Amino acid sequence: MTIPEFTMADFWPVIPAGILTAAAIVLMISEVFLGAAASRTYQSLLSVLACVLAGAVALMNMTDTPRAVLQGYAVMDPFSSFLTLVVCVGTGLAALLAAGFLQHRNAERGEFYALMLFAAAGMTLLGLSNEFITLFVNLEVLSVATYALTAWLRRGSRPSEGAFKYFILGAFAAALMLYGAALLYGATGTTHLTDMAAKLRAALAETDASGGHPKQMLIYAGFLLVGAGFAFKVAAVPFHMWTPDVYEGAPTPVTALMSAGVKAAAFVALVRVFMALGPAVDPQLPFIAFSVLALLTMVVGNLLALPQRNVKRMLAYSSIAHAGYLLLGVAALFAVGKDAKVGVLSSTPLVGISGSMQSDVYQGILFYLLGYTVTAIGAFGTIVALERREDETKGNAWDLDRFAGLGSRKPGWALAMTVFMLSLGGVPPTVGFIGKVLLFRAAVDAGLLGLSIVGMLASAAGVYYYLRVVVYMYMRPAPEGALVPERRWTTELALVATAAGTVLFGVLPGPITALLQRTDMLFHR
Amino acid sequence: MSSYDSRLLNFVIFAPLVFAAVLFILPKNEKGQIRALTFIAMLVDAALAIWAYVRFAEGPAEFRLEYWASWVPEIGLSYHVGIDGIAASLVLLTGILGPLVVLASWTFVQDKVKEFHLAILILQTAMMGALCSLDLLLFYIFFEAMLIPMYLLIGVWGSEERQMAAMKFFLYTLVGSLLMLVALLGVYFIATPAGQHSFDYAAVYNGLLGGSREVAACVKAGGENCSLSPVAAALMRYGPWMFGAFALAFAIKVPMWPVHTWLPDAHTQAPVAGSMILAAVMLKMGTFGFWRFAVPLFPAAAQKYQLALATLAVIGIVYGALMCLAQRDIKRLIAYSSVSHLGYCMLGLAAMTPEAATGSAYQMLNHGVSTGALFLLFGMIYERRHVRLLSDYGGLAKVMPIFTAFFVIVTFSSVAVPGTNGFIGEFLVLLGTFNSKLPLWVGVLASLGVVLGAAYMLLMVQKVFFGPVTRKENQQLHDLNLREIATTVPFLILIVVMGLRPQPLLTVIEQSTRRYVARATLGPESSEPQLQVKTRPPPTPAPAPAGAIPSLKLGENEAPKPSPARDRLLRPMISPNSPRPVLMAAPPANAQGAH
Repeated sequence: MTIPEFTMADFWPVIPAGILTAAAIVLMISEVFLGAAASRTYQSLLSVLACVLAGAVALMNMTDTPRAVLQGYAVMDPFSSFLTLVVCVGTGLAALLAAGFLQHRNAERGEFYALMLFAAAGMTLLGLSNEFITLFVNLEVLSVATYALTAWLRRGSRPSEGAFKYFILGAFAAALMLYGAALLYGATGTTHLTDMAAKLRAALAETDASGGHPKQMLIYAGFLLVGAGFAFKVAAVPFHMWTPDVYEGAPTPVTALMSAGVKAAAFVALVRVFMALGPAVDPQLPFIAFSVLALLTMVVGNLLALPQRNVKRMLAYSSIAHAGYLLLGVAALFAVGKDAKVGVLSSTPLVGISGSMQSDVYQGILFYLLGYTVTAIGAFGTIVALERREDETKGNAWDLDRFAGLGSRKPGWALAMTVFMLSLGGVPPTVGFIGKVLLFRAAVDAGLLGLSIVGMLASAAGVYYYLRVVVYMYMRPAPEGALVPERRWTTELALVATAAGTVLFGVLPGPITALLQRTDMLFHR
Repeated sequence: MSSYDSRLLNFVIFAPLVFAAVLFILPKNEKGQIRALTFIAMLVDAALAIWAYVRFAEGPAEFRLEYWASWVPEIGLSYHVGIDGIAASLVLLTGILGPLVVLASWTFVQDKVKEFHLAILILQTAMMGALCSLDLLLFYIFFEAMLIPMYLLIGVWGSEERQMAAMKFFLYTLVGSLLMLVALLGVYFIATPAGQHSFDYAAVYNGLLGGSREVAACVKAGGENCSLSPVAAALMRYGPWMFGAFALAFAIKVPMWPVHTWLPDAHTQAPVAGSMILAAVMLKMGTFGFWRFAVPLFPAAAQKYQLALATLAVIGIVYGALMCLAQRDIKRLIAYSSVSHLGYCMLGLAAMTPEAATGSAYQMLNHGVSTGALFLLFGMIYERRHVRLLSDYGGLAKVMPIFTAFFVIVTFSSVAVPGTNGFIGEFLVLLGTFNSKLPLWVGVLASLGVVLGAAYMLLMVQKVFFGPVTRKENQQLHDLNLREIATTVPFLILIVVMGLRPQPLLTVIEQSTRRYVARATLGPESSEPQLQVKTRPPPTPAPAPAGAIPSLKLGENEAPKPSPARDRLLRPMISPNSPRPVLMAAPPANAQGAH
């Protein structure tokens, strides 16, 4: 048995995950020495520190040369490094929000933050997995941690319902994906994505005596099962049913982490897998499949969010809609250079040959992920600041009425929430607007005119329900005896940071776009 | 051009925002201080706007006072501002209106005073920014940014149905502008070469020039089997759609029939400041958008749909006027009169003749002044009585003589009585329309609108001011106080001055008219020059397409010269039959002194 040799160059991409895991272990051990009444604010701050350190390493990794590491089981490229950055930003902010939330419920324990950091480590590793088993293991690391986090507040029917639903459906989706991967392995005999792509081509070219392709069904079935597993993770319609219940039932800081980090990691893994395998299997199928998913997700997500009075549920549907815009970006990746005619999904280059570059699409997707992470965590953070334990049992903890008159009761929170709502709606000068411009710019460049127009109209419907929150905050009087929980500096710090980030990156997106202006974004061998 | 000039517009745009930041830290109970500070901010901005206008009027070139700064170079977005004639006059209007808006709501707004004044300061920045932008995406950002403060103005400080009206206003405008964003991205990819995509107005404008000319040639040749360059082929295929998206966004803003339905609600529910800003400036963003973007970027499509555009404008004129005759609510009546008046602006733009385009721009200013004043005056009486129906008033002339006198003068301006500003604008538009390629019935129907306009406005004046005082509550009304008079008098001065001495403004406007008309009527052989702006660093040398059109530096080379277009423009007004002897007193030669 030969022992593989690793150098430091192999470990740089996994160092952020290492930092996060180490901090998680420290937190778990430190919990042993604490009494029930001890102050645990340091746990939140330690988590934030770990995220800052991991993020800094990820930022350094952005400038490193893209390459395959750890014997090809993982890759080091700007795409995964930026995901690590996004995950660290999201986890850090969510940990900051969790402090106040858990203290209010007397549920703050080191294990919570440890689980959060384990999940974050899983997310960063998921982004750089270049092999199916690694990918599956990391997916499970992050999923199991989030199942547990969803059920953190055991009391009440909603957390158990949410957690149970998430667990059952998540396990089902993971099984689908694993089964799909097994089928692909059966057809090719490898689990490495880059090898698999070459062998898929060869396997599809094989013909048997009667002129058929013996492995074709196997490969297509595996491909679709893997796709379905990812579609579940990113909550694409029609695999979105779990999202509202789980988002509503989970503790709000966990919801924030799910809407931002889990989704971002799943998107990055999805792009990596399908960019490697998709063109090998079929030149048209990935484009059509992602276009249909994007269309359905954008339209259905926005339409289902319209009637919601429960703000947390509304944000859950809104996260589905945003997954739709990101899927539009993914469809644009596969549309580049194509001239496909499929009705509204058609892709027609604007000027003769398409001048579009996939790097623009990556830039759009990654910027959008960062912008959405900051904004969505801010929006959930406002809910954290507002919700009180006493209301949860009554079931109206997140009703729009809770926001009534907030503009006069808590002008700062109302202003921050307004910024988040405008950013989610894509109104300038916020990061959501720049993200939307970058993403739709890539889509238009790829020739996806019909989908872009549908997406824009769907987002106009989106602005309606975002603005309704603003209406309640500024134009409805506060209900009698409306109580607001006491202020907590950690929560307010998170709100200030997200609101400032939302506006700042909306006005000066230059540093981020410059960071993402790369032609070697995704590593292919 | 001094270095101050190149930064002047930045101050015009951002001065209100800086004051807003100061206002933000003031305690919210100091209502007097808040009002005074906002007033000072608006006065400063007005002074800067007047300065910008004067500096503009002194020089020769078309786009002036430019400032360019890199913003997001990765996608070709830059901060590029500059004004041409029409932007300069609209900046002037916006600037002058600012302090008056603050004065008008001095006592009306008592609730959330700080937020109210923050909103109007931010709105001022957004409006100035949209007028000055020379970058498509920058314009879009300011255009959208205007929505939020206006939405809050209507929704928070409006009347009883305010939330519905605010939401309607926001969503209507947003749907249009989101579709425009897709078209904007499309034109960005088509007009600028790969690898150097840019949202810069000049880059897009020049990039489309050759293509537009090819399309015009192709259309002239019957539209079949032309060999087109890639840009021209894309324009041929997508040009009408992109023009449609731009036109829809701006038509909603104008608003043109049949997408005007948000306007009566928004105007009726908005507070007086909101109505004034909405009528005087924000609606102009629609016509200005046609002038700056929709028509010049897609001349072939604009020519194709010229008659459709003119027809919608005329329907707006007549329909707006007829709706006015049927209204019982005074604010709704003034709102529908806006639909009718802006129909003239759109007709002037659609006619694509120099007279009509100049008249259209002048009418934009007129409508700002006269409708702004109408909403202001109605706001004063609404503050006293809090009712809006015609039947709630009557015989006010006896109780409020000063108010009545003011209102009647503004009404004259609105119905275009000779001697007021309204006359010049409508006259030029109608004249230009009759001179244009449009069929005769367009002009005839539009003229009918003038008669209807007089009818509904005078009927309203009669019902509100004359006859016996029918309501007991109205007998106790006190006449205007000093602040209210001071707010109104600038409008009256503008009405009279713009009516009697239109040449200085017309001279400034006319500079952009020439380019607008030349570009709108772009044909295969027209020698329309490229647009070059000075302050932008030269682009990295691109592989120049064969037969590149030599560009003309507009900044310095163009010497001021007598304009035949203007002579032609003013000649009809100086004819012996002219009912306006006062215009003859100022020969065109004088007007050129302003160069």
